[in-house]
Amino acid sequence: METYLGIDVGSVTTKFAVLDSKDKLVFHLYLPTQGKPIEMVQEGLKEVKKQLPKEVNICGVATTGSARYLAGVIVGADLVKNEITSHAVGALHYFPQAQTVVEIGGQDSKIILIRDGIVTDFGMNTVCAAGTGSFLDHQALRLNMNIEQFSQRSLESTTPVRIAGRCTVFAESDMIHKQQMGHRTEDILYGLCQALVRNYLNNVGLGKDIQPPVIFQGGVAFNQGIVKALREELDTEVIVPPHHEVMGAIGAALLVHEEMSATQQESQFKGFGISEIKYRTSSFECKACPNLCEIAQLSINGKALARWGGRCDMWERAE
Amino acid sequence: MVKVGIPRALLYYQYYPMWKTFFEELGAEVVVSPPTTQATLSAGSSRVVADTCLPVKIFCGHVLALVDKCDYIFIPALRSVKSKIYNCSKFLGLPDMTRAVIPECPPILDIDIDINKGKRRLYQAIYVLGRHLSRSPLKVRKAALAAWQAHREYKELMVNESLAPPQAIAGVTAEKHSTPNQASIALVGHPYLLYDELINHRLTHRLEQAGYRVLTPEMLTAEQLETAITRLTGQPYWTYEEEVVGSGGHYLESGVEGAIGVIAFGCGPDSLMMDMVQRQAIRLKTTPFMSLTLEEHSAEAGVVTRLEAFLDMIQRKKRRGAEVCV
Repeated sequence: METYLGIDVGSVTTKFAVLDSKDKLVFHLYLPTQGKPIEMVQEGLKEVKKQLPKEVNICGVATTGSARYLAGVIVGADLVKNEITSHAVGALHYFPQAQTVVEIGGQDSKIILIRDGIVTDFGMNTVCAAGTGSFLDHQALRLNMNIEQFSQRSLESTTPVRIAGRCTVFAESDMIHKQQMGHRTEDILYGLCQALVRNYLNNVGLGKDIQPPVIFQGGVAFNQGIVKALREELDTEVIVPPHHEVMGAIGAALLVHEEMSATQQESQFKGFGISEIKYRTSSFECKACPNLCEIAQLSINGKALARWGGRCDMWERAE
Repeated sequence: MVKVGIPRALLYYQYYPMWKTFFEELGAEVVVSPPTTQATLSAGSSRVVADTCLPVKIFCGHVLALVDKCDYIFIPALRSVKSKIYNCSKFLGLPDMTRAVIPECPPILDIDIDINKGKRRLYQAIYVLGRHLSRSPLKVRKAALAAWQAHREYKELMVNESLAPPQAIAGVTAEKHSTPNQASIALVGHPYLLYDELINHRLTHRLEQAGYRVLTPEMLTAEQLETAITRLTGQPYWTYEEEVVGSGGHYLESGVEGAIGVIAFGCGPDSLMMDMVQRQAIRLKTTPFMSLTLEEHSAEAGVVTRLEAFLDMIQRKKRRGAEVCV
């Protein structure tokens, strides 16, 4: 069987999606990154190999997400694509009529505007990460519940409290204040969901013409409270697609399928064996100029595989 | 020979040939600080008062780089260059602020440039500035005229040869980038953002690597810029509004593949002006537009991801257009 693999290594989670030659999803996997992108890619690949039938042939691999270059070198990616394009392509595959894609992930959030099947505009959170998954996780932990309980409890709210969503630090002190005043936990939770949605629409969605159907993807779309608040705030249809959490990986797999069909080349995939290789990462400060760039290096057995982080190409070229 | 230092920041890109000519005509040697590095930024950041913007921090870093390298540092307070048009307060107080935060700075040659006070006052101010280097009013007058001539030639050179300020200053000729029919992307914003590679994470270089020709505000004529401002906002209010609203308005209707607005985080005037351009882009729906906010983050991911997505958007749109035609 001919398949295409998309790997989305985000700040908080690592996603895998395997599509067949007809672009049907055959397998997907959602793992926490835990600050160890290399190990998680290796572990994920092991799992992918275990779950797929023996006769499967990987005809193309693409990486996306914030660790896309690192993951790309490790697996031998045929395509390294930014997560905005990947998410748009993934959403359009399932919903060709989509006009808006809302994606909220672990550390960043995006909005993508689509008209007649092509991306016309996009936005990404700038200096503020308020309202992304990590913050919700942190708040759930503080209230001694897991994120699934957070999601359920927030739906039980009857009179949500007002919380300042402009800044995570302020939101947290606001939440503590309300809790000390005696407000019910579910009202505080849903109030937080509303605040985060408002913050998202006022920051990332500022000046964007949001038209239905709105596709909501990314890990935060698991959170029923946020989905409900987004529906209420936009007063329009919000679709949470199945596999919304791996949509970036699906998009990447679709893109590499497209690319491989166009170029007719053999995949550079290094095989499932890389799960066993010991990779070493290190970093050093380049002293060649006053910029003092922090160069990160990936190596196997003392041999450098790739380097990043320079303001010039000096280390990327170096053997 | 007296050495006059000029920081390679803020207004440098607009006026360097003019300033250089003026001081050299008066017999001084001009020293320019080296291009911005991480060290420039760190040094500048450690000195400034709270709530200063990134370009001003970098400016202070450049001043620090010139300490001990020159006898004077030239820092103009540019209040207004057109009638009833005003500049950001950080520009108005630049010499005073520098004096306060960098006490070891060599004597600052400052000049108040405010066209609202009339030409006579401007000439007086130029004379007062020149007197530091020459006692002869005639010599100062001659230097000022030569400086003005150099400025006009510099501006014309950039328009006629489609050169960006660093190339025009370095005396690069146009042949290097004259591939015909090359797709182009316009950068919209102030020169101290567009030509400082540390601030903008080598934006121009990245676009050129991707095969695009990069167009910038300085390549447009004064008429083109004014027409665009009139169309978008009517009467300008801010100094250098043409760099944002003028060039943005022009490029959005000029047939470029896309336009990128570049602003520094926390810049008040720019947040208003770039919004005008963004709104116009949404109204027109013809040219893809993206605005990039630059701050002190040393990680390039923010800029790189946005840029990759923007270029993908342009390419996929183009490819789709070609498919529909077939």
